[in-house]
Amino acid sequence: MKKSLLAILITLVVILAGCVNTKSDVADKGNDNKDVKTDDSAVAIELLGMSTGEADMNIVRDQLIKNGFDVKLNIQPDYGSFTAQKDAGNYDLALSSWTTVTGNPDYAVRSLFKSDGDNSIMSDEEVDKLIEQASTETEEEFTKTYKQLEQRLVLDKAYIAPLYNSFKAQGVNKEIVNADTVRLAKSRAIAWESIDFVDTSKRATQPLIMQQPIGALTSLDPIKGNDGSINTLNTNMYVRLVNLTDDDKVVSDGSLSLNHVIAEGNQSYYFLLRDDINFTAVTDEKAVDTGERVGADDVVFSLNRAKDEKSVPDHRTYSLHESMEEIEVVTDLAELDVNQSGSEVTVKEALEEGLDAKISELVEDKNAADNAAGKYQVVKITTVNPFPQVLNYLAHQSAGIVSKKQVESINTYDVESFDVNKDIPYGDQNTVTEGAKYNNTLYASGPYILSHKNDYEAIFLKNPAYMTGTENEAKISNVTVRFIQDPDSTLSALRNGEIHIFNGVPETKYDLVEGDSKLTLQKSDSNAVSYLLFNTKNRAVSDSEDLRKAILYSINQDEILNYYQGNKNKAVSTVSPLVDTGNEVVADPAKVKEFLEAYNSSK
Amino acid sequence: MNSFKKHALKLSREYTQANFALVLSIVVSLVFLINSFNYKEGKIKSLVFTIFLVYALFTLYQFFLTWKIKKDLLKFGAIQPITRKLGYIQLLSILSANVFTASFAFNLIKNKKTPDYTFAVYMLFTQLFVIAISAFNMFKPYVTDTFLPAMGILVGILVFQVVTLVLVSKYVQDESAPSWFLVIAIVLIASSVTGNLFNLLLGISLIVKIRSHDRSRIIKWNTIWGKITRNSTAILGMFFIILMLSLSVCSKYTFDYDMAVENDYGSLLQQPSLEHPFGTDDFGRDLFSRIIFGARISLLVGFASTIIPLIIGGVLGAIAGYYTKRADNIIMRLLDILYAIPGILLAIAIIAAFGANTMNLILALSVGAIPSYARTMRANVLMVSNYEYVDSARALGASDFSIIFKQIVPNSLAPMIVKATLTIGGAVIATSSLSFLGLGVEPHIPEWGNILKIGSTYLESHSYLAIIPGLAIIGLVLSFNFLGDGLRDAFDPRMD
Repeated sequence: MKKSLLAILITLVVILAGCVNTKSDVADKGNDNKDVKTDDSAVAIELLGMSTGEADMNIVRDQLIKNGFDVKLNIQPDYGSFTAQKDAGNYDLALSSWTTVTGNPDYAVRSLFKSDGDNSIMSDEEVDKLIEQASTETEEEFTKTYKQLEQRLVLDKAYIAPLYNSFKAQGVNKEIVNADTVRLAKSRAIAWESIDFVDTSKRATQPLIMQQPIGALTSLDPIKGNDGSINTLNTNMYVRLVNLTDDDKVVSDGSLSLNHVIAEGNQSYYFLLRDDINFTAVTDEKAVDTGERVGADDVVFSLNRAKDEKSVPDHRTYSLHESMEEIEVVTDLAELDVNQSGSEVTVKEALEEGLDAKISELVEDKNAADNAAGKYQVVKITTVNPFPQVLNYLAHQSAGIVSKKQVESINTYDVESFDVNKDIPYGDQNTVTEGAKYNNTLYASGPYILSHKNDYEAIFLKNPAYMTGTENEAKISNVTVRFIQDPDSTLSALRNGEIHIFNGVPETKYDLVEGDSKLTLQKSDSNAVSYLLFNTKNRAVSDSEDLRKAILYSINQDEILNYYQGNKNKAVSTVSPLVDTGNEVVADPAKVKEFLEAYNSSK
Repeated sequence: MNSFKKHALKLSREYTQANFALVLSIVVSLVFLINSFNYKEGKIKSLVFTIFLVYALFTLYQFFLTWKIKKDLLKFGAIQPITRKLGYIQLLSILSANVFTASFAFNLIKNKKTPDYTFAVYMLFTQLFVIAISAFNMFKPYVTDTFLPAMGILVGILVFQVVTLVLVSKYVQDESAPSWFLVIAIVLIASSVTGNLFNLLLGISLIVKIRSHDRSRIIKWNTIWGKITRNSTAILGMFFIILMLSLSVCSKYTFDYDMAVENDYGSLLQQPSLEHPFGTDDFGRDLFSRIIFGARISLLVGFASTIIPLIIGGVLGAIAGYYTKRADNIIMRLLDILYAIPGILLAIAIIAAFGANTMNLILALSVGAIPSYARTMRANVLMVSNYEYVDSARALGASDFSIIFKQIVPNSLAPMIVKATLTIGGAVIATSSLSFLGLGVEPHIPEWGNILKIGSTYLESHSYLAIIPGLAIIGLVLSFNFLGDGLRDAFDPRMD
C-alpha cells in the first residue's frame, strides 16, 4: 500500500515537473537583456516625491529596478516637506511637475532651466543661450530652436527625464449646469462668467457650486501668488488686458481691451480699453458698484507693481513681467500712426477693427472715456527686447488689474520694514475669513468678487457693473467654491450633486464619470508635464552624464501611458505640449546597459 | 426518561458542532450562490455556480447528519455507530475546502476524542490547504525554481501526516501513548519548520504522554487543550492563524516574490481567473501573491509588537508589583504618562520622526502597548506574591530575583498570554491602518493595508481589490480574538 502510494507520488512529481515551467526556464528562453541584474554593484538611486505621486514613483521604481538599479523611495506627505527635502538635497531624482499656465513656451523653460531662473537648479550656457534666442523669435522660427533646446536639455545632457503630459478633465453635472457653457481651456483657469444653468430662471437664486483642493489662499492680491489656491479665484476676480482662448491664442475677447495690436519691431504693444467695467466691493455680504471705473491709470499702476520686485513683500510673480520696460497711457492720437507688425495697416486702424465708433479722441481721465462717442483710452507697453510672448504673460492672473486708489489706501506700510504681525496687506486672506479679523477691502475688476470664506467654502458674488448687457456679463449671481482636498471625495461630491463642476477628474476614474447618466466628462489637452529632475549637487547623478542617460533610457513612457489607461500623452520636456518639436525619448535597455557600463568603468 | 434524552441533546457536543458547521456551511453556500450570477448581463457564471452546487450538496448532507444525530439522541440518548459511520462520507467535503463540515466529520467518526486526534486532524487540514493554495501557482506562466522540490516535501509531509493521523486515532489513549511514538513525535517537531505548528503541538503532546510519569501533568495538559479543541471557534481561529503562518513560511519557496512586486503593464486590473485567482491590481501585480506575502508582514509585526511590550511591560510590572511602594510608584507613574498618549498617535509620531520601515513600525506599535501589559502583570504579581509558596520560598532564603522569576512570574503568566493573544489582533489592525495612511511600509511592498489602500480607490469598478485584503485582515484579527477567548476560558479555573 505504502509502496504504491510512493510510486503514485513519484509519477505525479515527474508529470508535474514535465508540464510546469520554472522561472529560470522562462528566463533562459527569453534571455535578451534580462541579465543586467546579475551585476552585483547595482547603482542605488534615491527617488523623492510626494504621496500624491505614489503611482508614478512606483512605476519609475519598477522600471529602474528592471534595468538593474537599486531604488530607495523618499515619500513625503505634503508639498512643504517635499520642498524641505529637496532643498536639503536628499535625492538623486525628484518627481516634479510643471504646468505652463500662460500657454507660451518661454514660460515653460525660463524659470526651470535657465541659470538664473526662480526654480532652476542647473546652469548650462548652451541652454541659456537657446532659451534667450527662442524668446525673441516668432512661432515659425522657435520650433527649431526649442528642438535644439530639448536635444541639449534632455537627449544630450539628460538634466531631466520626462514621464508624461497630462490631460485636463472636467466632470459637469449636466442636469443642473448647461454643459455647453462650461469652458475647458488648455492653459487658462476656468472662466465662471460664461457658465449658465439648464434652468435659467434659477440664475439669481441658486448658487453655482465649484470645487478646489486648497482652502488656504496665498493672497488675493494677484501679484502675490501663483499657485493652485488662487489661480482660478483671482482669474475670475480681476480682469486682464488680454485673455487666452481655449487653445492658447491671445485675444481681447472678454478682457479689458477692445482690441490689441503689436507695432512694428515687436517691441511696442497697444491696448484699446473698454469703458463698461467698474470696480465692485462687498458691503454687508452684497456686491455693490463702487462707481469707480477700471481705466488706464489702474492698468499702469497694476503692471508697474507687477514687474517691480520691491512693490510688495512676498512678490511671487515679478519674473513673469520683467520683460516689460515701460507702461504708459497714450494721449496723442498721432502716436498710433505707426504700422502694425508684419502688415501695412496702421496701429490706429487695427485698433478700430470691428468697432462701432472710430477713435476720435484719446483721453487721459478714465471717467471722460465714452466709447460710443469715440473717446477712448489707449495703453502702450514697451518691452526691453522684442518679445511677442509678453502677451501671454499679460493674460496670466498675476497681470490682473487692481484699483490704484484702493490698493494705495490699504498698502500704507513700508515694504522694507513690513511686519507680518502688524501690517495687513491688500488681499490678505484673513480679511475675508469669517471671524473677528474679517474686514473685506477687496476691489474686484472681474466678473465676481469674493464675499467671505471659511475652511469649507468661499462665497463669490457677481460684479453688478461688469460689462453689463454684453455676452461677457456673468450669468449666475452666486458662486460657491468648496474646498475638498481628496480627488476621490470630490468625485463623490460631484456624483451626489453636492458640487456642480469638478475640474481635475483622476485619469483612472474617467469611466465612472462617463458611466454616470447625469454627468458629462469634458477632456482636453493640458500643459502639465511630469518629469524626473536630477540633483545637480553632490550626487553621482550630478557628475555623471552616463548615469543620467542610463536612467533617462530606463523610463518607458508607453508603460506609464498603459497604467493611466491611455489618458496621458508622451512628453520630452515641459515645452512638449506647446511646441511640436518632433523629438521623442524611446526606452532602450541596450542603451541603459551601455551607459551603465560606461559609468561603472569611469568610476 | 424523556427528559434525560432531551438533556442528552443539550449536552451533546456533536450536536452543537453539527449545527455550527451547518450554519456556516449554509452561509458560505449562499455567498457562492449570490456571486454566481452576473447581474448586469443576467447570466450564470458556470465556475462559481458549480462551486455553489458542490457546497450545497455537502450542506444538504450536513443537514441530514444533523437531523440524524438529533433523532439518535432523542431516541437512544447517544449517537449510534451507524450515524458515526455516515460521517465518513462527509469527510469528502475537505476536497471542496469546506473546513467546517470536514472538521465536524472528523469529530463525528471518532467516539472518544483526545486532543492529539484533533491536532492531527487540523495538522492535516493545514497541510492540505497549504498545498492546495500553493498549487494554484501551476496556472501561472511559470513557477519559482524551488516550487517543485518544495511541493514535493510538502506532499511528503502530508503523506506522513495521514499515516500519523491513522496511528494516533488507533493507539493514542487519553493518558498514554506507546513509546515508539517518540520517533513520530520527533519527526513531527522537525517538520514544524514549515510553519505548521499543529505538528509541533502534536509532537509535544505525544512526548508529554510518552515520557511523563506524572499523571497530574498529563491531565492538566489534556484539560487545557481539551477545552480549546472542543471550542469550535477557538480551534478554527487557531487553524486560520497557523495556516497563515505556514503559508508565509512556505511561500518563500512556492511563490514568486517578483509576481507580487514587479509591475506588469500588460495585465492591469484583470478580473479573477485561474491564473490570477484574486485578479490583478492597477499595476498588474498578482493580488493572490500579494495577499500571501502580505500575511508575512502582518504576522511578523503582529507577533513582534506584542512580544516586545509583553516582555518589557511584564518585567516592569513584576518589579513594580513585588517591591515596595516607592519602586512601584516610580515605575507605574512613569508608565501612566506613557499610557496617557494615544497609542496610534504615538506610533504616527515615531514613524514620522524615524522614517517608515518594518523595524520602526514594530517599535512604534510596541512602545505604546507597554503600560497596559505592565498593569496586568503588576496586578497578578500583587496577588500571587501573597501565596504560601512564595512565603515558603522566602523563608528558605531564596533571592528576590529567583522568587520573582521562578515562583511569581510563571504563576502570573496565564492572563498575560490571554491578553497578548487578544492584542495581536489589534496590532495587525494597527499595522494595516498605518500602511493605509501611507505611514507603514513602502507602498510597493505587499502588505494588507497597502493592498487595501489601492483597493479603496477602485471600490466601484474593481471591488475585489478592496474586499479580499479586507477579508484577510478581518479573518486574521477574528482568529486571534477567537483563540484569545478560547485561551481565556481554558486558563480560567472557574470555567471547569
